[in-house]
Amino acid sequence: MQTDHPDPASAIVEPLLAPRDVSVALIARVYAQAIVEAADKANCRDEVVSELKQLADEVLPRVPGLLALLESPRLGTSDKAAVVDRAVNGRVSETTRNTLQVLANHQRLGILPEIVAAVSCEVDRLAGRQQAIITTAQSLDDTQRQGLLAEVERCLGTALAARFTVNPDLLGGLVVRVEDTVYDQSVATGLVRLAERFKQRSIHEIQHRRDRLGSA
Amino acid sequence: MKFNTDEIASVLREEIDRYQSGIDVREVGQVLEVGDGIARVWGLSGVMAGEMVEFPGGVTGLAFNLEENSVGVIILGDYLKVNEGDEVRSTGQLLSVPVGDAVIGRVLDPLGNPLDGKGPIASDLRRPVETLAPGVADRQPVREPLQTGIKAIDAMTPIGRGQRELIIGDRKTGKTAIGIDAILNQKHSGVKCFYVAVGQKDSSVAVAVDVLRRYGAMNYTTVIVAGASTAAPLQYIAPYSGTAMAEHFMYNGQHALIVYDDLSKQATAYRQLSLLMRRPPGREAYPGDVFYAHSRLLERSAKLSDEHGGGSLTSLPIIETLEGEVSAYIPTNVISITDGQIYLQPDLFFAGQRPAMNVGISVSRVGGAAQTKAMKKVSGGLRLDLAAFRELEAFAQLGTDLDAATQSRLDRGYRMVELLKQGQYQPLDVVDQVLSIYAGTRGHLDEVKREEVADWEKGFLTFVREQAAELRTRLEETKALDDETERLLEAAIAEYKRQRVGTGSGSPALAGAN
Repeated sequence: MQTDHPDPASAIVEPLLAPRDVSVALIARVYAQAIVEAADKANCRDEVVSELKQLADEVLPRVPGLLALLESPRLGTSDKAAVVDRAVNGRVSETTRNTLQVLANHQRLGILPEIVAAVSCEVDRLAGRQQAIITTAQSLDDTQRQGLLAEVERCLGTALAARFTVNPDLLGGLVVRVEDTVYDQSVATGLVRLAERFKQRSIHEIQHRRDRLGSA
Repeated sequence: MKFNTDEIASVLREEIDRYQSGIDVREVGQVLEVGDGIARVWGLSGVMAGEMVEFPGGVTGLAFNLEENSVGVIILGDYLKVNEGDEVRSTGQLLSVPVGDAVIGRVLDPLGNPLDGKGPIASDLRRPVETLAPGVADRQPVREPLQTGIKAIDAMTPIGRGQRELIIGDRKTGKTAIGIDAILNQKHSGVKCFYVAVGQKDSSVAVAVDVLRRYGAMNYTTVIVAGASTAAPLQYIAPYSGTAMAEHFMYNGQHALIVYDDLSKQATAYRQLSLLMRRPPGREAYPGDVFYAHSRLLERSAKLSDEHGGGSLTSLPIIETLEGEVSAYIPTNVISITDGQIYLQPDLFFAGQRPAMNVGISVSRVGGAAQTKAMKKVSGGLRLDLAAFRELEAFAQLGTDLDAATQSRLDRGYRMVELLKQGQYQPLDVVDQVLSIYAGTRGHLDEVKREEVADWEKGFLTFVREQAAELRTRLEETKALDDETERLLEAAIAEYKRQRVGTGSGSPALAGAN
């Protein structure tokens, strides 16, 4: 499973993996809840979420140094607010614009990727979907993915917001991670377990029935 | 030993046939940071306090701090193998150690892994390291003696089975020696012994193990080692895991003795962990629950009621003081938890009085009920007399003329002090102790020169063994000093004195000529 943190410049935050900074993740969660609530009030949740996602996933990686600029304390809050205003005014919804202004005023634009990730988690949470990563040994096509996801959801009895990854080290089978729980039916883990049992059983036999296994 | 490969192959084949690959379900987290024996973990949202967690490579840890957004884990094992980003899995189990007869005679680490190169521990029995102490209804008062074989202790601060007796003193005052002697003396008593070495130099532990082995004590002793180079988490849990192993015998109606050497080092290890975990520091920077860390440990020593088999666990915690400072935090805590303390003093130690026990402030709060009748009879008042002697001695040093009564009290005191000296690794049988102390307290040594007291005693014990066997058997069987036995004893002493004068090995000294 991939454990490396994504390059900050790529600005994509993986759910389920440990955040770069735990306190930032906590702050992001609070902002995310507020953003979703505000969007709901204005009745434009989908719009706001997709706009924020676009900003984080497409705009930020495309402009190198933008995140660093937004993070930098050398640029005052009013300047940042002005930059944001010039960039998005008229192009995004009112709530999104306000959100970015609030972040600029609170010097939180630097954690925009984390906030966007937290927003999508929050949306999934409200919809009753749990975060999941499904890892297989070989890549699957879309129909296989759909079928697999439906089957896993049926087994667990819960809706999932799933991502698919490939890890050839599994050899076969699949590993499903839902929130903090891992359901592992990979061949690699099976072999490890079997090796452990071999070891334990052999030790047990040697200790308890020396006469059977060896001669002095 | 030659292994039969066919049989091994068949065992493995059976295992393959029986193997069903189930889904491996686990709760995981991810290591955020690691260092100095602790790790902070993201995730593990369902982990419980004190639950065992597993790092890749088989290193285990213990959930120590549950925080809002991370879990503080203490790493039991090689923390250098744990990396940032590693997957941590919860096991749903508490930390446990192997127990039972298989651990006897072994040298183990606090997780129950062998350190003596004698192969794995072949025991199917395990006990959780942290368990609740037996409740009030499960206990009964201490009533059987646990003989340490040390005259000064068995006579003046007797220890009963199920008691907690603290051994406290500065460095190099013979604390460990008392613990080791107490273990050596259990050779014929059937008491299982556990020696927990926490934060000690590995060389000292090697010496202790060597002594135990040389005197045949490893046949009934387990040594649990978390040396000075071991990570703090292991030093912290070592006393608990030693207790778990000892408790097994208590709950099975047997008797066990455990020596914690020493708890001040464990407290230091716990302080280190707590500070690294950012728990608030309190007095002397120890965490607020350091008292509970020791009280829950020592409460597990108990004498169980007869319905529960009547087993017992006696503990001898050791605390090292700095410059005799018993009012420091950890010493006062442990003094208040235990049922008495044996206080060792450097000045006595260097004056040649070994064990260097200060009888004035050493006490045993419950052991008196556990003394044998004979010992109680001969040693009653000994502690107070000796304490009074110490005062008198200080006064007499002013060099004034003393009246005859005071002088004779001083002489008696000097001889009792001589009599209570005892070499290391030479525990005495309780009958021998009664004989010696009787001779001393009844004034039979008053005419013996101070420097000849030890010799007189040695000769007397040999004499009784060889020429007054009837007296010994009587004392051994009745464990009491009735009129008839006392008459025999007086006769034996008179006879011994006569023989001693006859052989010229000792001439009666003038009173006071010391």
